Amino acid sequence: MLFRWLRWFTHHLVGLGITAVFILPLFWVMVASLRLPGLPPPNQIEWWPPDPQFGNYPFIFDLLPFGRYMINSLIVVGTAVPLTLLTASLTGFALAQLPLRQQRHWFFFNVALLLIPGASVWLFRFQILRWLGLLDSLWALILPAFAASSPLFVLLYYWACRQIPAELVEAARIDGAGPLRCWWQVVMPLAHPTTVAVTVLTFVLYWSDFISPVLYIYRPAYYTLAVGLQIMNQLDPTNWPLLMAAAVVMTLPVLFLFLWLQRYFLHDLSLANLMDKN
Amino acid sequence: MRQIIAAAGRLRPSLPYRHQLHLFLLPYLLGSLLLLLLPALATVGIAFTQYDTLQPPQWAGLRNFGRLFDSTLVRISFYNSLFFLALAVPLRLLAALGLALLLQSKKRLFGLYRASVYLPTIIPEAAYALIWLWIFNPFYGPLNVVLAWAGLPTPNWLTDPNSARVAIVIMLLFQIGEGFVVLLAGLQNIPRAVYEAARVDGANGRQSFWHITLPLLLPWLLVLTFRDLIMSLQNTFTPSFILTYGGPYYATTFVPLLIYEIAFDFFDFGLAAAALVVTYLFLLLIIAGMLNMVRELGGLGD
Repeated sequence: MLFRWLRWFTHHLVGLGITAVFILPLFWVMVASLRLPGLPPPNQIEWWPPDPQFGNYPFIFDLLPFGRYMINSLIVVGTAVPLTLLTASLTGFALAQLPLRQQRHWFFFNVALLLIPGASVWLFRFQILRWLGLLDSLWALILPAFAASSPLFVLLYYWACRQIPAELVEAARIDGAGPLRCWWQVVMPLAHPTTVAVTVLTFVLYWSDFISPVLYIYRPAYYTLAVGLQIMNQLDPTNWPLLMAAAVVMTLPVLFLFLWLQRYFLHDLSLANLMDKN
Repeated sequence: MRQIIAAAGRLRPSLPYRHQLHLFLLPYLLGSLLLLLLPALATVGIAFTQYDTLQPPQWAGLRNFGRLFDSTLVRISFYNSLFFLALAVPLRLLAALGLALLLQSKKRLFGLYRASVYLPTIIPEAAYALIWLWIFNPFYGPLNVVLAWAGLPTPNWLTDPNSARVAIVIMLLFQIGEGFVVLLAGLQNIPRAVYEAARVDGANGRQSFWHITLPLLLPWLLVLTFRDLIMSLQNTFTPSFILTYGGPYYATTFVPLLIYEIAFDFFDFGLAAAALVVTYLFLLLIIAGMLNMVRELGGLGD
């Protein structure tokens, strides 16, 4: 009995310890964002600032056009996420309907695409965007969404579609449904968990994207939040409260999205589980 | 949406089902050719030319590669990236494996612990870099405050060349959510019966880890290692760009930052492409070597 209780206790102690290591830094960042700007921070651990300055948050929107940056980021995410869902699901569905031989070819094509390192396309994406006249516009950031953003998302939908019994699509086809109808009315409702996972992953991908705006955006009117944070850092790298407030502002949307939908990642229907079924 | 689809259905498309499917595949095929495959292949081609993006490229043979090996800065950045790979890839894998083993329990609250391990992975790169700029602050940063409280040495982190390189490794050790989740799934897929059988045969916990868990996880570990090798070079870009911009004394000028500077500050696309080609040839060699090693050890069934 005592032994069992001890085991339970150590298990949770280890779990809590790990949680503390991963969460406490984020908590300190929030505490740091509420300190009075201009005062030297204390050189000991502070659990709560003596006089929390919630005004730091509105203030960063006065200091830099953070509202503009945020709207740009939202435009990018708001366009790229639906586009990605559309192309990834259509492609994944169509792949799962092909003859098996062709499915295999496409699978290896996707894996090969996944192995292409990001940095190796920097140079020529720049040129292609210039030829298309999209350089220095938000379209430069959105463009990958037309190709499903990542081959991984196509594969996720492909795997999800293969889980769906073929008879369901067959039955719909006998009833005279075309592929568009099979996709929307049969497959998409059943692939709901995949849609949630791809939504979160795509959101994080475009919301976080720092490299693309650095490479392809030059006009301040088109800066996104990620660039805004870098500008803030260059402006005054010692104003910790304001820098941390900006970091918190940028993190909060993804944090809420993650907390809201985390069961899709870490529980029974996890992404990795989907991947492993094949 | 429903009306549109119904209307589209009524149009009685003249194309047979199969051809309509091919139509669905077209945007993705074109897009990935234009945005991924062609740019990657063109990079290989341009490595043998002199190209400043304004004049058409001119054949330069192997001159770019020669310039690459002559440059001290290139050598330093390759050393930095190698240092990073040698330290970050195994440590990230070990951390993900260790955490997956510790937190795989189905008990209550463990879902919460797992979620907190994944959490830093979703923090946007730029915000993550700023956060670590604060954590690494030598005087007020939480890390040195904790180290001082524990009576441990407090390095200057980002202003000292040696500790700056390590600092970038440390900050990326906390973004291991993907590997963690993949290994958790791998662990869950090992049938309980295998462990039961081993226990009946008298195997203890350590033996079943070495002879059951590890061999069955090996394919996952390999895939994660290859992925990390390819990704982690690029992962250094944002941290080194925001935290140190390559300094102090070029200690954090990793290959991606160098390529960025060569290409987008000096518009010497030929040289940048050559650096990319060398980097990825090198990575391919490592991956081929590892696969070979595993095959010789008979680790993978085929």
